[in-house]
Amino acid sequence: MIIAEQKPLDEMARMLAPYSRVLIVGCGTCMTVCGAGGEREVSYLHHALRVARARAGGEPRIFLEHTLKRQCDLEFLDLLKDRVAEVDAVLSLGCGVGVQAIAEHFPDLPVLPGVNTSFVGMADEWGVWDERCAACGDCRLADTGGICPITRCTKGMLNGPCAGTKNGKCEASPEMDCGWVLIYRRLETLNQLEKMRRYYPPRNFRTIPRPRRITSRAGGPGETDGPQPA
Amino acid sequence: MRFTPASPAPPVPRAGTGQLADRSLVPPCQAACPLYQDIREYVDLVAQGRILEALRVIRSGNPFPSICAYVCSHPCEDQCRRAQVDNAVAIRALKRFAVEFGGDRLVQTEAETIHSERVAIVGSGPAGMACAYYLRKLGYPVTIFEAHPEVGGMLRGGVPQYRLPRAVLDAEVERLTRMGVEIRTNTRVVSLDLLFQLGYRAIFVTVGAQQSRRLGVPGEDLPGVVDAITFLREVNLGLKPSLGDRVVVIGGGNVAMDAARTALRLGSREVHVVCLEKREEMPGSAEDVEAAVEEGVALNCGWGPGAISGDSHVTGVQCIRCVSVFDADGRFSPTYDESTTTHLSCDTLITAIGQVPQVPEDFRLRTGRGSTIQVDPVTLATNRPGVFAGGDAVSGPATAVRALAQGRLAAHRIDDYLQHRYPKPRDPGPRLEGDLEPRTVEVIRRTGRMEPPVLAPEARRKGFEPVEAVYDWEAAVSEARRCLRCGMGAEILFQDKCAACLTCLRVCPYHVPRLDEAGNVRIPPEQCQACGVCVGECPARAIALRKPHDRRQVDEELEHALNAAAEAKVRPLILGFCCQYGLFGTHSLAGVWRRARAGVWIVPVLCAAKVEAEHLLKAFELGGEAVFVAGCGEQCARENTDLWLRQRVERVRKTLAQVGVEPGRLQAFVLAGGAENLAVELDRFVERVGGLYLAEVMRREAGR
Repeated sequence: MIIAEQKPLDEMARMLAPYSRVLIVGCGTCMTVCGAGGEREVSYLHHALRVARARAGGEPRIFLEHTLKRQCDLEFLDLLKDRVAEVDAVLSLGCGVGVQAIAEHFPDLPVLPGVNTSFVGMADEWGVWDERCAACGDCRLADTGGICPITRCTKGMLNGPCAGTKNGKCEASPEMDCGWVLIYRRLETLNQLEKMRRYYPPRNFRTIPRPRRITSRAGGPGETDGPQPA
Repeated sequence: MRFTPASPAPPVPRAGTGQLADRSLVPPCQAACPLYQDIREYVDLVAQGRILEALRVIRSGNPFPSICAYVCSHPCEDQCRRAQVDNAVAIRALKRFAVEFGGDRLVQTEAETIHSERVAIVGSGPAGMACAYYLRKLGYPVTIFEAHPEVGGMLRGGVPQYRLPRAVLDAEVERLTRMGVEIRTNTRVVSLDLLFQLGYRAIFVTVGAQQSRRLGVPGEDLPGVVDAITFLREVNLGLKPSLGDRVVVIGGGNVAMDAARTALRLGSREVHVVCLEKREEMPGSAEDVEAAVEEGVALNCGWGPGAISGDSHVTGVQCIRCVSVFDADGRFSPTYDESTTTHLSCDTLITAIGQVPQVPEDFRLRTGRGSTIQVDPVTLATNRPGVFAGGDAVSGPATAVRALAQGRLAAHRIDDYLQHRYPKPRDPGPRLEGDLEPRTVEVIRRTGRMEPPVLAPEARRKGFEPVEAVYDWEAAVSEARRCLRCGMGAEILFQDKCAACLTCLRVCPYHVPRLDEAGNVRIPPEQCQACGVCVGECPARAIALRKPHDRRQVDEELEHALNAAAEAKVRPLILGFCCQYGLFGTHSLAGVWRRARAGVWIVPVLCAAKVEAEHLLKAFELGGEAVFVAGCGEQCARENTDLWLRQRVERVRKTLAQVGVEPGRLQAFVLAGGAENLAVELDRFVERVGGLYLAEVMRREAGR
C-alpha cells in the first residue's frame, strides 16, 4: 500500500495563500489506511487551517471538505464536479497519483498536494510505517528469501552484504537491521543458502522508460484486435 | 496574541450526526427486569453524579421506585455481566441511593381524568397499586377495593418492617391517593357482577396468593401451629404474638426466612428452619438465607416434616430425612428415607411452604393449577369480558417487581379494551447476547462490589430497624462506575467507509475488534466496553458509539460552553474538557472547578478518551485562548484512556506550534495522587495562560 505523510502545516498555508475558497479532498483508500488523508485527517486539517487563519487574521477563508473512496480513478472524480465549481483551488490529501488525477480531470483548477507520497509499505504497529517495495518493476524476491534488497538494504545492493554490516546492523544506523543479514538468515531457515553464492548483475535503470505503462488486456490501447470494453 | 474567532464552519456531514437513531442493544439487566427499567441509563447517570436525572429515569419506568429500592428481588443483578469479571453491580442499592437522595422530588401526582369509563381494582397489593397508578396516568377514574383495613397487600401484611419501612409504603400510597385514586378499605368484593352494576366498565382482579398451603401431617391444627402469612400479618399490624423460646419454621423460601427472622426479633432464643432442599437448592434468595444465618437462625436442610407432637399445645415436630426433592423431570416430588428421623422440640411451629390464591367462587373466573386465575398472557384477560387479572393470583407467589409489571401491563391492556384497540406488542429491539470472552475479562479492571452498610446481626435482632443502610455519595458513584455499559459500545456504522485499515484492532485496549473469515472488521458488541478509543482514532470515521448521545455529546457541550462564554464576554476564554464520571464530575472534585475563575468554561465529557483531536482544535478555532483536558486517570473505569488523551494532546500541540500558537496553551491533566494536586496544577495553568494573554494585550497596546 502507498504510504504518505502530511505536509507541514506552514507549507500548506503558504501554498494556499493565494486562494480564498479551497476544497480539501481526502482519499478513502491508501491515504485513509496510512492515516495521512482519510476523512478524519481532512477534518483535522480543516480545523487546523482555520486555527491558522484565525491566528493570522485577515480575510476569512472558506474551506470545504470531501473524502472520495479513491482519487486515482476519474469516475470517482466526477463526484467532485459540483463542489469544485465553488472553489478556487483543491487541496488533495491523495497520494501523488490522486493529485495528478484531479489535475487531469479538472484542467482549469489549481490542485495542491497536501501529503508527501513516500513509499510502498506496511504498518509495523499502530502509527508506524515501514517501506517494503521500491516498485522497481524487476522483482527478485524469489532469490532473496522474500526480503527485498532494494528497500531493506540502505544502499539497495543486489549483492550483499557490504562491509558495513556489523552485528546484523547497518553502518548507516545502529538501529537498522542489515537487509542482507536478514536475507541470509531467512535463506538459512529455508535451506537455500546456495542462493547467497549467486551473482546478480547490476540492473540497468536506463532501460526502464518512464512513464511506465502496463496493459493487462489483449491488444494494446488503441489497437482494434482483441476484445474491447463497450 | 489574541485570536480573531473564526466564523462558524459550514456544517460538514459527519459520521453519526445525521442519523441519531439509538442503535444500542438491550442489556441483560434490562431484559431481566419485569418492569423493563432502563437500568444501564440510570446507573450511568449515578456514575456521573447526576442523581436527579437518574431518578427521573427510574421514576419514568417504575411506579413505586422506593418500594423496589427496598424489596426488589433484583433479577437484573442475576444477569449482570459484571459478575463475569468480579461481582454484579449492586443495582438495587444504587436505585435506593437515587430514590432516597431525591426524596419527594420528581414525583408527579398530577393526573387528569380524560375518560369517563370507571375501572375497579380488587386488591391493593403491588399489582393493584401499579395498575391504579398507570390507569390514572392514562386518565381513568380508578377505585381500589381492599378487604383489609390497610392498603398494600403483601407489602403491608407480608413483608417485615426491617425490609420495608412502613413510612416508605405509606408515602407511596399517599401519592396514589393524591393522584386521585379512590381507595376503599374494609370492602370485600364478593361479586364482580355487582361492580359492573355499579358502573365500572372494567375490573382488575388482583387478590394475591394469601392462603397458606397446609402441611398435611398429623397435629397441624394444634394450638401453637401457625402459618407464616397469618403470623407475619399479625406482627406487621403491630401485634406481638408470644412465641416462646423455641420456634421451628417449616419451609425454605423467602417467606420462611421472613418468618424466622421476625421470630428472632420477637425475642425467641432459638429459631430452626426446616426445609426439604439442600442449602444450595433453597428457594429463598441467597442474600436472605445468609442474613438469616447471620442473625442466628439455624438451618436444618434436607429434612421434611413428619408428625407434629403435643397434646394441648405443640411441643415439637418429627423430621424425616429427605433424599431428593425433584424427580428426574425436575418436578417437585420429594422422596424420604423413613429410617432416618430426628425430633425438634418447639413452643411454636410456623408453616411457610407456599401460598395459593383464594378467589371467591362468585367471581366465576376460570382457575387453573394451584388455584391461580387463568388469563391470556398477552392481554391478562380472564374468561369474563371486561375482567382482567394479574399479580400473585395469576402467577402464584412471586415477587413485588413482577406484580408491579403485571399491574402496568393490565393498565395498558384495560386501556386498549376500553378504547377498542388491538393490543400492540412491545418491541424491545435487539438484545445483547453472549458472555464476555476470557481475554476481554482479563483486561477489565477489577473493582469489587461495594455493598451498602448493614446493621450488625446483634443489633438487628433487637427490633425491626431496617437492616440495610443507604450508600453515601462516594460509595454510590464508585459502585455505579463498575457498570460495563453492555450493548452501547462502538460499531462500524458506515461499513462503506471502512478501509479495513485495522486501526481499531490496534488501538482497542480490550482487543475487541477482529477480522471475520471474509476479512471484514467486526466489533462484537458483547465484548466492547464502550471506551470510545477506536471512535476517536478511526481514520475513516466509520466507527460510532451506539448511543446517539455519545455520538454528539462533545460537540454539543462545546457549543454550549462557547455560547455561554460569548454571552458572558469575559476574557481570557479558557476551555476545559473535563471528565464527568465518578468523583471527578461531582462534589469530591468539583472544588477544582468551583475554584476555577471567571473565564474558565467547562465542557463536560463522558471520558476524556472521547475528546478527539479535532475537538481540541475546534476549541482554539472558535476563540479559546487556552484549552485543557482533564481525565480521571487512576480512577478511570476503562483502560488506557489517559494514554490516548496524552497522545491526542501531543499531536495537537505540534500542530499549534506549526501555526505559531504557543503549544503551552493546551494541556492535559490526569488525576494522580489526589484531587488536591490537580487543583494546584490547574490553578497554575490558568494563571500562566491568563498571564500570557494579558502580557500580549499590553505589548500590542504599547506597539500601537
